[in-house]
Amino acid sequence: MTGFLQGMWLIVALDLKQRVRGVAWYVLLGVFVLLVTIVTTLVVIATNAWDSGGGAVFSTVVFFVLLLGTLVSPALSGNAINGEREAGTLATTQVTLVTTAQLVLGKWLAAWITALAFLAASVPFLAFGVVLGEVSASTIAVSLLVLAVEVGVIAAIGVGLSGVITRPLFSVVVTYLVVAALSIGTLIAFALGGAALQSTVHQTYIAVDYEQLDENGLAPDGGEVPCLAPVVNEYPTPRWDYVWGFLAANPYVVVADASPGTFDEHGSPRDLFGWIAVGVRQAQHAPDLEPVYDECADWEKYGPYGYGGGETDSETPQEVYERSVPSWFVGLSIHVLLGAGALAWAWRCTEVPARRLAAGSRIA
Amino acid sequence: MAGITVAGVARSFGEVHAVRDASFEVARGSVAGLIGPNGAGKTTLLLMLASLLAPDSGTIRIAGYDPVTEPHQVRRRMGWMPDVLGSWPTLSVRVALATSARMYGMGADEASARAQELIELVDLAPLAEQATRVLSRGQKQRLSLARALVHDPEVLLLDEPASGLDPAARAELRELVRRLAGEGKTILVSSHVLAELEEMADSAVYLAAGATAAPEDVARAGRAARHWRIRSLDAERLVAALGAAGFGEVAVVDRLGAVVPLASEQDAAQLLAHLIGTGVPVSSFAPAVGDLEHVFHDLNRAGGDA
Repeated sequence: MTGFLQGMWLIVALDLKQRVRGVAWYVLLGVFVLLVTIVTTLVVIATNAWDSGGGAVFSTVVFFVLLLGTLVSPALSGNAINGEREAGTLATTQVTLVTTAQLVLGKWLAAWITALAFLAASVPFLAFGVVLGEVSASTIAVSLLVLAVEVGVIAAIGVGLSGVITRPLFSVVVTYLVVAALSIGTLIAFALGGAALQSTVHQTYIAVDYEQLDENGLAPDGGEVPCLAPVVNEYPTPRWDYVWGFLAANPYVVVADASPGTFDEHGSPRDLFGWIAVGVRQAQHAPDLEPVYDECADWEKYGPYGYGGGETDSETPQEVYERSVPSWFVGLSIHVLLGAGALAWAWRCTEVPARRLAAGSRIA
Repeated sequence: MAGITVAGVARSFGEVHAVRDASFEVARGSVAGLIGPNGAGKTTLLLMLASLLAPDSGTIRIAGYDPVTEPHQVRRRMGWMPDVLGSWPTLSVRVALATSARMYGMGADEASARAQELIELVDLAPLAEQATRVLSRGQKQRLSLARALVHDPEVLLLDEPASGLDPAARAELRELVRRLAGEGKTILVSSHVLAELEEMADSAVYLAAGATAAPEDVARAGRAARHWRIRSLDAERLVAALGAAGFGEVAVVDRLGAVVPLASEQDAAQLLAHLIGTGVPVSSFAPAVGDLEHVFHDLNRAGGDA
């Protein structure tokens, strides 16, 4: 079995050789670079980046590259296997010693490498963010790495569906629908899911009886603070913690959350990615369904004027960020599982000697 | 041991029984023709032999190996030429052949040497650097044949290899097939052009409605009455002589002469002697169709009656 990688690489090389001889690929790459140039220029002007640093430029370019990458990738991968079947070259490959696993994985790698070329073309624009300052090299490295994995996942889904679905046009469209489901569908599912699964909050409020205080606002005769009876309010609250997985599966959230969070001295994120990360991680935590606001106890602790002047015990964004599950890890795991599942399914459907055939499909 | 053994093989696609019951053997070093009308299941059968399709039941052995359980061993020894060639459109003939060779585990140098050999073998040298998409149908067929031979297989499965070839290329194909059989390869050829199979096949497998004809049926069909075509310099005397000999009712007369059904070769010899004896200037006296075609039609008729 020395030849597994060799055989797979043969498929990759064959696929790439055919791609670079076509014109379509170069046109796409040119359009891609042009669009990224335009967007970068506009963002630099709009955010006054020469003076205020490249953080906004960087975040925008990364998101834009992800957008274009997920739009281009299905077109590059969505007809990998059924396109060959239509052209009659799949069966002639399958009668050779190349195995179905080598074929499917090779097709996927070729589609991924092609998509990575687009990513490579965007590196100068990302590096521009570093030149402008305020973006660390590690942020760029992590963002690029996650972008690379994300387009790899889209490529895997595209190649996988092209092995499962008979018609090339249909499989490309379904791949686009999967991309749309991940990019937009997850947001809708999160918003609707959270709103549908509501819980009731029972908020207890224990107030100080201000009418019994003396004219200086102190407890009469220096004794106990007079308290009113507890009042319970009820209101509904959305349960984001049940549906945060949807949000985590959004590729934009994955990219934002994966970049190392940097915080200022108040524990607030420094960039757009940081704010998205905090927001997503905040959603993991169940809301306090039995909150108690005991004004009376605070009075005793901090004195009559201590309230508001003293330390509050609410968390800073940084504390929330640090005590939560890294959502990028969850999202990326979901994506990788999706991609691997699609490839495995394609493998099963393409394996020969074939036992079952989809209606209307041909072997050769 | 036989190169190809097929026993009781059946395969259906949903409600359609493409192959119902196929059984035959092809001996090593021999050429067998696979004959049957359109839709008889020839391509389905070849796909099963080529380890691309699993049979629902029955057993297949290619060079002694089972394509279902040992596809790797089968593929090492089997070359398959599909009825419709797919070729990588942007690659040149040379690169396409070298790539196929590498898919059989050859190194880069060995593969390009093999590609050169095959280009010469199938006469594609002037087109070797051309992209395969510019090839004509006949040239693609030759490329496809070269591809099937790339790993020097013991067993060759050729699905309609002659379609699209000009007469000269057909003659070359015939010679090549005979030579490969002479080298000990087992070859199964499907074709509609029965006259052509007649010249290269040692034996024939008749497939009709998904079932192979039993050997005794084939033998009986071979013995059955067949048509003989008689041509004469003097058509009127020929017709008169046939009428006198009692064939007036059954003989079909046309511009080329007459076609007469005769039960056996003995009857044919007798009739010929009679015609010559009565002074008819006979210029040609031969079976109207080849042996394969005769059996083919006879079996089809029998299948239709059943």
